[in-house]
Amino acid sequence: MDLADALDRAPTGERPRFDLAAGALVGGRCADCGATAWPARAVCHRCGGADVRLGTFARAGTLVSCTLVMVPRPGLEAPYMLGQVRLDDGPVVFGQIIGLDDAEAVPCPVTVQVSADRYWFTPAGLQEPTGERQDETRVSSDETGG
Amino acid sequence: MAEDVVVAGVGMHPFGRHSGRSLKDLARVAGLRALLDAGIGPQGVQMVYSSNAMAGMLQGQEMVRGQTVLREIGIEGVPVVNVENACAGGSTAFAQAVMAIRSGAADVVLAIGFEKMFVADRSRTLDALESAADLDVVAGLGIQFTAVYGMRLRARLADGSIARQDLADVAVKSHANGVRNPYAQHRVQVTAAQVLESRAIADPLTLLMCSSICDGAAAVVLARGGALPQPGRPTVRVLASASTSGFTLDPAGGPSGATLCAQRAYEQAGAGPGDVDVAEVHDAMAPAELLYAEQLGFCPPGDGARFFRSGATALDGRLPINPSGGLASRGHPVGATGLAQLAELTWQLRGEAGERQVHRPRIALAQNSGGWLEGESAAVNVHLLERTQRWT
Repeated sequence: MDLADALDRAPTGERPRFDLAAGALVGGRCADCGATAWPARAVCHRCGGADVRLGTFARAGTLVSCTLVMVPRPGLEAPYMLGQVRLDDGPVVFGQIIGLDDAEAVPCPVTVQVSADRYWFTPAGLQEPTGERQDETRVSSDETGG
Repeated sequence: MAEDVVVAGVGMHPFGRHSGRSLKDLARVAGLRALLDAGIGPQGVQMVYSSNAMAGMLQGQEMVRGQTVLREIGIEGVPVVNVENACAGGSTAFAQAVMAIRSGAADVVLAIGFEKMFVADRSRTLDALESAADLDVVAGLGIQFTAVYGMRLRARLADGSIARQDLADVAVKSHANGVRNPYAQHRVQVTAAQVLESRAIADPLTLLMCSSICDGAAAVVLARGGALPQPGRPTVRVLASASTSGFTLDPAGGPSGATLCAQRAYEQAGAGPGDVDVAEVHDAMAPAELLYAEQLGFCPPGDGARFFRSGATALDGRLPINPSGGLASRGHPVGATGLAQLAELTWQLRGEAGERQVHRPRIALAQNSGGWLEGESAAVNVHLLERTQRWT
């Protein structure tokens, strides 16, 4: 496959990110070197090849680290938990962790959950989620910067 | 090194909350101090690299920010390049200035950074900070920089290589240095108990460990060696300048951007981490210093806390880190930070750092990182500076 083929790749807004039936993330996997990325990119970040194919990643992953965030952001009430997850056959992704009571258990297995436009993670073995998400509440900000 | 590039002048506007001052006011003070320190006037500047990250969103000055502030101090009619690299913009401007001089395009170049993060609506500042990531990928997740560092540190608490007490003790050290720095935003001594009891921000980080919203400016005049003779003053030259952008994390692990840049810088300089006498590292949250000590090779991987506990990184230690107070205490006006680090190290190498002077440093390292690409900083610069004269 030629690099020029990446010129004709679907616009980013038209590339699927979620497989609702499988309940999993859809990303890119390089047919040449196997490197993965979420969401899919036109060209492989590792080998520079253009034969990047869309694929559904495993639902299972390992929560590598997490943090309980105490400062709210628009659409997110505090506290909320964020984590770094290494998918079993895919890339490292970051997202919300819901239902993890014991942060001391990390690293631990987690399962990805998806809806039409979002994803999050729950501890492996937890019952399938109800789909309820955090309230969309605009909240005040904080003095802590980056 | 083909051509010696020297730091001919440095200057800062104190970091803090400066509500009555505009970007022009902040840049004026830092820029003029750097020119005065270099012994030149505005017409001696042949080229400018100007760093600012947030004035587009916060002040509405989306374009030509450098030109607008520079004409306040009589600099116009020369090439001005506007640089944006999130929190690493200042050192990116510096790196570009080094390249401009090495290329032969100019003999005297100003690198200047300025930022005004205090605005009426604080959520706008947080929105601007959040845009230091790929919003197409992470918008709406609530990924704040505090959370990014929280995750980096949380994994180390989990494996036992860093204790909560270490996180607090680093913040105490950072504040103790900031107290001695007249340019610092936070000049209050704190205790470990106060740090641990301060408001939780993103586990395990508390308020007193975190850098905060800040206004400020910093500037550096770089010159070709010999272009601006400064008899009677120690010469500070640029030994190495290494940069990288972020990259996609390898699930199997691998070196960080800071490590890769440091390795390149050491190679350029023909030196190693053992030769570094003083360092300014990117401690947007004070405990990040523990991680960067490892990534920059000052101690073995996993030993950051032990290295810190030995006292090595204190002002009187064998490798003082962040004598300025670092980002957490000196303050972190995003686009100015990298140049403030280099100004601090220049003062340290000259012996002009006052109450926070470390003992006779010869080689100094600055590490400045910016932005976040799902795990790795979006931009990293590592610089090595050297004092060429012996201490007497």
